Amino acid sequence: MAIEGTHIVQAAAFLGAGLSMGLGAIGPGVGEGLAAAKACEAIGKNPVEAGLLTRTMLVGQAVSESTGIYALVIALLLLFVV
Amino acid sequence: MEELGRIHQLIIPFFGHNMTFNLEVIVMTWIVFIMILAFGFFAAKNRRIIPGPVQIMGELFVNQLYGLTEDAMDKELGQKYGPLICALFLFLLLSNWAGLLPFMEEPTKDLNTPLSMGLMGFFIAHYAGIRAKGFKGYIKEYFEPIFFMMPLNLIGELAKVVSISFRLFGNIMGGSIIIMVVSHLTYSVLLPPFLNAFFTIFVGTIQAFVFTMLTIVYIAVQVK
Amino acid sequence: MTDDIQVWVKVAAFIGGGMAMGFGAIGAAIGEGYTAAKANEAIARSPQISGDLFKTMLLGQAIAETASIFALIIAMLLLFADFSNVSTLTISIFLSSGLCMGLGAIGSGIGSGLPTGEACTGIVRQPGMKNRITTIMLAGSAIAQSPAIFALVTSLILLFVDFTGRPVSPTWAAIIGAGFASGLGAIGSGIGEGLVAKSGCEGIARQPLAATRTTNVMLLGMAVTETTAIYGLLIACILIFKSFPAAESIASSMALLGAGLCMGIGAIGPGIGEGFTAQSAVKWISRSESSTAQLTRSMLVGQAVAESTGIYALVISLVLIFVI
Repeated sequence: MAIEGTHIVQAAAFLGAGLSMGLGAIGPGVGEGLAAAKACEAIGKNPVEAGLLTRTMLVGQAVSESTGIYALVIALLLLFVV
Repeated sequence: MEELGRIHQLIIPFFGHNMTFNLEVIVMTWIVFIMILAFGFFAAKNRRIIPGPVQIMGELFVNQLYGLTEDAMDKELGQKYGPLICALFLFLLLSNWAGLLPFMEEPTKDLNTPLSMGLMGFFIAHYAGIRAKGFKGYIKEYFEPIFFMMPLNLIGELAKVVSISFRLFGNIMGGSIIIMVVSHLTYSVLLPPFLNAFFTIFVGTIQAFVFTMLTIVYIAVQVK
Repeated sequence: MTDDIQVWVKVAAFIGGGMAMGFGAIGAAIGEGYTAAKANEAIARSPQISGDLFKTMLLGQAIAETASIFALIIAMLLLFADFSNVSTLTISIFLSSGLCMGLGAIGSGIGSGLPTGEACTGIVRQPGMKNRITTIMLAGSAIAQSPAIFALVTSLILLFVDFTGRPVSPTWAAIIGAGFASGLGAIGSGIGEGLVAKSGCEGIARQPLAATRTTNVMLLGMAVTETTAIYGLLIACILIFKSFPAAESIASSMALLGAGLCMGIGAIGPGIGEGFTAQSAVKWISRSESSTAQLTRSMLVGQAVAESTGIYALVISLVLIFVI
């Protein structure tokens, strides 16, 4: 089995895509969970504003998710472009 | 285990392209439609002050979902989007439960169904956003906080469609594959009913609810 | 040459057994230590019920120990496996099985120690609710074990499914990837479910009147927290049972290994995050029972969004398996 350079590069790209998305998912996962935890706390303290708090929570989560989306973009680039 | 990932397909040539249809999903979707229509018909047939059992179910259901929608948006928009939300939830619920019946498959097990529901929610949310804020205000949102964040905001919006549809697809397909593998390994003794109860009824209900809630909230975020 | 393979299979089995028990001991030790610390604190506060507290502590520690007992079983199976009929694939099967169980026991070990510690504190606070708190504690710790059970199932499937006739080249990577997906994927959910059960015990001790609602939301939150571990199990099942065509190039092997690693690592963060969310929701339901509906709704939406990065990992894994 002759191992060629292009195969190794491709293999590295696949492995790198998996690692990129996998490692990139850790931070946003915990962070979004914390944001939602604080939102639940706030709703517990002030249930009247539940709608507003949920919306704020979603916007905050969307922002903290952006690093996860960068990881997704890099993974897709590694898979299909490189 | 050969049936993993195999589907019955109908391939129709169309101007040089092969259009592939998943027959199982189409038939099952129609069966779910018929079930929803029958439920609606019987719930609304003999409307009385003292309601019958089916009417009570229908009223409870509609009241709850209208309440959810009005909580997230406001009274007027809630009335507008309520019917859509009711239909979406009922369709997803019955689709997720369809696997319980013998010879039936969940339509949501095929990625196309959740993806089309997700795209529908996406387009409705953005239409509602344009209606509420005007086209200029809607476009301006993408250039917040700084102008060069635009591509990332755009990808963020598209990623919502991916996450909402793959969440439903992953849970339902994952449940059915795990049920299949475990049933195969234990020769279908003892375990499958409990697995079905957990993955189909419990997880199916929660995922249908989560999908509906997220659609409501995405519309509400666009409108505000 | 057959002797050579046998040597390597033995090496793999012993390394796998070592990793199963070595990694598998981490979680349970931390969890049981936490429980004992909390129990000591509780006994110092009210020494007159030290007998009850001692019993609760031992009961909880026995459950937290289950995860590492699973690891012990797999380690024993690997050490005394049948080495007479082996092939090259057996090397990766033994390594992967050990890794899967070892890593999978970490989260559940830590997770199921948490509710017991909180139950000891709770019994001091509300000695009258002792039975109720113990029941919830047992249920919570037992459910927090389920990610470890997923890992155990994957390890056993790996050991007992017949892989003969599969091409060596991509299958070895699929097997190792399956171990990583199920094993690493169990860590986050195990810890997360432990956090939820912990606040369930605390909430019932603080507000016994809200016990039913707290229990219901706790179970709901735990079930949702478990989804990422189920994704890991799903990818592991696909990697094990799908038969891949033989491929000489190293790229297709790395794609399968990457798929397993991606789902496994990607499930850790969302699992813990969803646990935080449900923990806070359960905590506040016991304090303001009237807003249960709003809290449950926000909890579900928050968990669903926190899970989205885990879903991106699932998407990338599925692309690596089916598209590449």
